[in-house]
Amino acid sequence: MSTATATDTTVPKEKTKKTSELKEVLKHLIRNRAAVAGLVIIGFFLIVAVFAPFIATHSPTATSLVTRLQRPSAEHLLGTDELGRDLFSRMVFGSRISLNIGLISTLIGVVFGVPIGAVSGYYGGKLDIITQRFIDIMIAFPGILLAIVVVTVLGVGVQNVMIATGIASVPVYARLVRGSVLAVKEQSYVAAARAAGLGDFSIIFKHILPNCLAPIIVQSTFQIATSILWAAGLGFLGLGAQAPTPEWGAILSNGRAYIRTAHHLTTYPGLAILFMVLGFNLVGDGLRDALDPKTR
Amino acid sequence: MRTTHTRGLMTVVAIGLTVLFLFLMGCPSETAEETEVRDTLTIAIGAEPESLDPVNMTSAPAATVGEHVIERLIYMEEDGSLVPMLAESWSANDDSTVWTFNIRQGVQFHDGEPLNAEAVAVNLRRFVDPEVGAAYAFLLGSVQEITAVSEYELELRLAQPFAPILSHLSHSFIGIVSPAQLEGLGPNDAIEIPVGTGPYVMDAWNRGESITMSVNADYYGNTPQIENLVFNFIPEASARIVALETGEADAIMAVPPQDASRLDSDPNIDVVYQTSVRTIYISFNNVREPFTDRRVRLAMNHAIDKQAIVDGLFGGNAFVADAPVVDAVFGHVSVGPYEYNPDLARELLAEAGFEDGLDITIHHPTGRYPLDATVAEAVQDMLADVGVNATLETREWSSYLSFTAQPPELAEYDTFLLGWGTVTLDSDYGLFALLHTQQWNPNGNNRGFYSNERVDELLSAARVETDPSAREVMYAEAIELIWDDAPWIFLYNEGQINAVRSNVGGLIHHPLENLSAWDAFFID
Repeated sequence: MSTATATDTTVPKEKTKKTSELKEVLKHLIRNRAAVAGLVIIGFFLIVAVFAPFIATHSPTATSLVTRLQRPSAEHLLGTDELGRDLFSRMVFGSRISLNIGLISTLIGVVFGVPIGAVSGYYGGKLDIITQRFIDIMIAFPGILLAIVVVTVLGVGVQNVMIATGIASVPVYARLVRGSVLAVKEQSYVAAARAAGLGDFSIIFKHILPNCLAPIIVQSTFQIATSILWAAGLGFLGLGAQAPTPEWGAILSNGRAYIRTAHHLTTYPGLAILFMVLGFNLVGDGLRDALDPKTR
Repeated sequence: MRTTHTRGLMTVVAIGLTVLFLFLMGCPSETAEETEVRDTLTIAIGAEPESLDPVNMTSAPAATVGEHVIERLIYMEEDGSLVPMLAESWSANDDSTVWTFNIRQGVQFHDGEPLNAEAVAVNLRRFVDPEVGAAYAFLLGSVQEITAVSEYELELRLAQPFAPILSHLSHSFIGIVSPAQLEGLGPNDAIEIPVGTGPYVMDAWNRGESITMSVNADYYGNTPQIENLVFNFIPEASARIVALETGEADAIMAVPPQDASRLDSDPNIDVVYQTSVRTIYISFNNVREPFTDRRVRLAMNHAIDKQAIVDGLFGGNAFVADAPVVDAVFGHVSVGPYEYNPDLARELLAEAGFEDGLDITIHHPTGRYPLDATVAEAVQDMLADVGVNATLETREWSSYLSFTAQPPELAEYDTFLLGWGTVTLDSDYGLFALLHTQQWNPNGNNRGFYSNERVDELLSAARVETDPSAREVMYAEAIELIWDDAPWIFLYNEGQINAVRSNVGGLIHHPLENLSAWDAFFID
């Protein structure tokens, strides 16, 4: 019972059951072509990010005013930017930043949002009402707007963008987990755990939350995509990574001034953002289907 | 079946031909009509004036728009010469402390009020009234008394001689509006739509969008040929260019250098290059470690390849600064530039004790000056080459200005990028305001807290000296001392790039960053 990690409809008892459940999910995921495409895209960007120093052909920050705004060539695979920096190398290093922002800010959202939602849903009553009204207030702001507010307070920079997008995703998790907890806490095994004299803390974290994992995983995949998009948006507005950090949104924003004379500065970062977000969204879709027994 | 098909097809072809025919018929007549009624000139500029009330104007866009409606006593020509505008002539007493201006006769404000010495006096008194607190009141700082001695004679009494008084009176912000408009106005009330004497009458201000004007038929000078004038505000440079290309705008200001050659190859568009009076610099916080050490300041001047910035980023349409003011300014002498020499820079830094490098912050605006953020990034990389690790920080323009306006004990900056246009073409405006100890924040525009006793002496003396050649000598010495002290990283003097549709002539592209349309006409 204490190792339960499946969806809310099954009450796994043995290890074999767990592995078979995982296998089942993977099987469905791999059968879903769109999800596989998403996995390939994410895998591609992961490899690029991890091996960035080996893949990049130039320093991402070295300027050269004589070779600025060059079109793609053998020397500069994607051309050069307004300061003569190699766009390919900047894009390669930029994948690290975008993935980092996506993962860390989602982690922040999970770490704060999940306990808030769980406690709020489990105890109910006044605590629930107060928490949920705060969450309502946060949800009332569009996520990107909330992130802008947070960045304005904290100041610009990659770290603060992670915190800002993380905070902006907290209400999403809090709401989601509260809903799941409300459903799960009525289950008989929760009542059994309570009858066995377990404390609230271990009931929430050992028995209820593991059974809410599926929606959290699915949401996280989407949230990574959303965070990357928000971060690129903040970078585009000049509120994200600061020069000369090769953040995709910032590259896109800087390139905008040259769209008529050197469109490669906007085309490639735009495509990169598009594909990375698409990859996570496809996998998220696939996971949702694979984890939902009704659609299997 | 087959015949129905064919018939259907023929119908489509017939309709298509008819439409095409009508379209071709319509085309020439439409263009002919357009040229006949072309009576509106549209100019697209990047920023909206903050106000057109003389006491609240602070920016070049306000000057450009405002000068079509409101005029001042003296006008500065493109070559810097001062010519009569609302004052027909002027004279001073022997020690230049009493100035008499003969006001132009027979001039009417747009509301029919007559222009006379009293009308001018009311305006100037409002401009210097401390209760009103005009941002540019310092332009007339030395004026003690303003009196209309007769109907058309205005007298200004100064506390002491003030050499640049005439060029200060030519400043676009000292505009004269109808006294009827000022009547009953409290010290904090502002005029929205000024009523002046200019060649155009302002009709409407659509905030965030445009200002529209129509010709002043009773103008005392040459009445403009073009009936209506529209200033559109389009902040995004690329959108401004599209507006010009599609004919939505007839002229645009501030073309980004990278677009200039592409626009130039368009047969319907002329690109106009003009010098500017604005110099761009990165000032040190001269009272903050380690910038108190002259070697550090020199090192950073030697570390920057100014020529590469001018050629690479601006395509040659900017000029490496050779003094703290541009060369069109009275008193300018060429003392620079500092040679680009990274080795020397490293040596100087090592001497100052920074052989292992140095961390600094450069604050810079984004979008205020052409390529400002890009220049900051180029500087950052050049500094990295000599071991100075610079962090760039940018702020929105108005908060940037207040951030760099803190008194020395509160100033939280190492360095900051700014530009200054010496629009009076007199060194006093360029040097006294930026580099005199009296002008330290928050009293003035010496935001970098530069202080040199001898420079202070020279700049103060040159203000009250009335002999131009003696002033020139003083400014030459001051500029040399300033250059030697290197309180700034001296960068470049801006050039202006405007673009005009080829069927428009007569626009004045003024070095003071004004685009004037009163002599404009359409070429057909």
